Amino acid sequence: MRLADLLNFAWQVLRGSVSRTLLILLAMGIGVAAVVMVTALGEGARLYVASQFGALGTNLIIVLPGRSETSGAMPGVLIGKTPRSLTLEDALALKRSHAIRRFAPLIIGAGDVRTGARSRETPVLGSTSELMDIRSMELAQGVFLPPGDPRHSQPVCVIGSKVASELFGSRPALGEWVRIGDRRFRVIGILAPQGQSLGFNTNEIVIVPLAAAQALFNTESLFRILIEAKSREQIVAAQADVEEIVRLRHEGERDITVITQDAVLATFDRILRALTLTVASIAAISLAVAGILIMNVMLIAVTQRRREIGLLKALGATGAQIRLAFFTEAMLLALGGAAAGLVVGELGRSIAVQLFPAIPFQAPWWALVAAPATAMLTAVLFTLAPARRAARLDPVQALSRR
Amino acid sequence: MIRLTGIARTFLVGGEEVHALRTVDLEIAHGEYLSIMGPSGSGKSTLLNIIGLLDRPDAGSYELDRKNVTALSDDELARVRREKIGFVFQFFHLVPRLTAVQNIELPMILAGIDPAERKPRLARLLAEYGLEERAGHRPDQLSGGQCQRVAIARAMSMGPTVILADEPTGNLDRHTGQEVLSVLERVHQNGGTLVIVTHDPEIGARATRRLRMLDGAVVGDDSG
Ligand SMILES: Nc1ncnc2c1ncn2[C@@H]1O[C@H](COP(=O)(O)OP(=O)(O)O)[C@@H](O)[C@H]1O
Ligand SMILES: [Mg+2]
Repeated sequence: MRLADLLNFAWQVLRGSVSRTLLILLAMGIGVAAVVMVTALGEGARLYVASQFGALGTNLIIVLPGRSETSGAMPGVLIGKTPRSLTLEDALALKRSHAIRRFAPLIIGAGDVRTGARSRETPVLGSTSELMDIRSMELAQGVFLPPGDPRHSQPVCVIGSKVASELFGSRPALGEWVRIGDRRFRVIGILAPQGQSLGFNTNEIVIVPLAAAQALFNTESLFRILIEAKSREQIVAAQADVEEIVRLRHEGERDITVITQDAVLATFDRILRALTLTVASIAAISLAVAGILIMNVMLIAVTQRRREIGLLKALGATGAQIRLAFFTEAMLLALGGAAAGLVVGELGRSIAVQLFPAIPFQAPWWALVAAPATAMLTAVLFTLAPARRAARLDPVQALSRR
Repeated sequence: MIRLTGIARTFLVGGEEVHALRTVDLEIAHGEYLSIMGPSGSGKSTLLNIIGLLDRPDAGSYELDRKNVTALSDDELARVRREKIGFVFQFFHLVPRLTAVQNIELPMILAGIDPAERKPRLARLLAEYGLEERAGHRPDQLSGGQCQRVAIARAMSMGPTVILADEPTGNLDRHTGQEVLSVLERVHQNGGTLVIVTHDPEIGARATRRLRMLDGAVVGDDSG
């Protein structure tokens, strides 16, 4: 039997019972669409998280005061008790490590930023010139904090674009003075809009020199030290150096937590991948249900088409040809269902993209391959028994009216 | 040429043995026109099915065209059936979703014949059996006589040497039956072997050789 004839024969069967065909296509389609959509959601979430971490900068190591045993939690949500604070001196001691390219100590507080009559409450970050490179910040105008000894500061600040427009309207902000608390700062730079980073919207922050922040908030304790390792390979060495250097300074106490972006990202990656795989497998169960439906329909078909099968045998069909006819029918159903499912899944994905433009919903390639393949496989598996039964039909009995 | 030697076929019905055929010996020469008559249940269909390789005997041997086919595998039997034997049934057995011409095409499709070769053959068959007008119709749009003509054209499509017809007129009125019979008899006129099982003595009498069966045995063989 030729392939074209086989396909045509199966096609005639499917066309001959439209409602049956549509029902199976629907079941198969739902299964495939479910897998595609669910994995698109999972993968979208994974890519979103990865991109958020990527915005942190490369080869990033974050040091925070307090010991936490949780290795892979998100920075900022970590609450450890602080037996000893992390100081600028601790940070400066890190210069000894050869694995560290640069570092930026960080102090964070909320400040009332004023200019003339306008005032606004914003997060105020105290840091050093290195922050810009470590966090891959970009400036829309002006310059960043000047380099120099972090123990001394000049009265300058860099502000987010939204802060600039709210305080100065359409007037140029560069070179103007703002008042934070009881101190005055000259605006020397305006950050380019960059979105979320380290839990802050960079449009809405003000960055001042570290020493100024220490005075403003009357604290010596650092909120974080951000460190950039010399390379990806050096991250582990840098992490070890940090722990050792600070431990020696803290009389042997291991009272800091060192988080590497790599580790956090890897953890998230693992969790989200596992989650995606799990929900995808659950969705795949609907494919098995579709398979069972196919088996039932095929078994009914074998009974209904007994005489036809007997006839085909009388006309010289071999058992293999009968089996092949059934498999072709099942494959066509699976292919049709898979195609419909992929289309519906893609539709669902594009709707999700419309609703949440920030998240890159995209079914991973393995799901796009696995879902139709699973549909095909279940179709074949669940047709095995009916096809075998059909091929074994005794033609004499099948043709008789008994 | 068909040679049956000591053919027996027994069915088990509810634990009881039914001897559908008891040692049948039969030789049918190439080109013969044979009718098989006998009461219902005498084994006519069983004999025809065994000749047509649809059924296997429990005992005896069967030689078709000088080749022993008793021990062939199912697939080999299917191949022989496809090439040498054409079946015509009482209930036509057309595939309802296929058109007349698609039904006629089935054996050639199963044999894997090139579509380019099938086309002219189909045209010839349609013309020969007066079905050109009806080629695109489905069985439910055809009369009984037309259905049986489609079935005969289908049986002839592979150019078989033997045509086996099991009560081919049993489901047709008298006039149509005669018509269908004369179509079948063309096989004989063209030199093919024709075996017809029938209840109708008038039809049976037209064959050049008439077999009578009773209780699974051939009790009369009349070539007069
Ligand atoms: N598949 C079968 N299973 C059981 N008994 C059968 C089967 N086929 C035929 N028989 C029995 O064998 C005998 C001969 O049947 P059959 O050849 O169909 O007779 P006929 O065609 O002459 O009416 C009958 O008694 C019938 O009941
Ligand atoms: Mg009978």
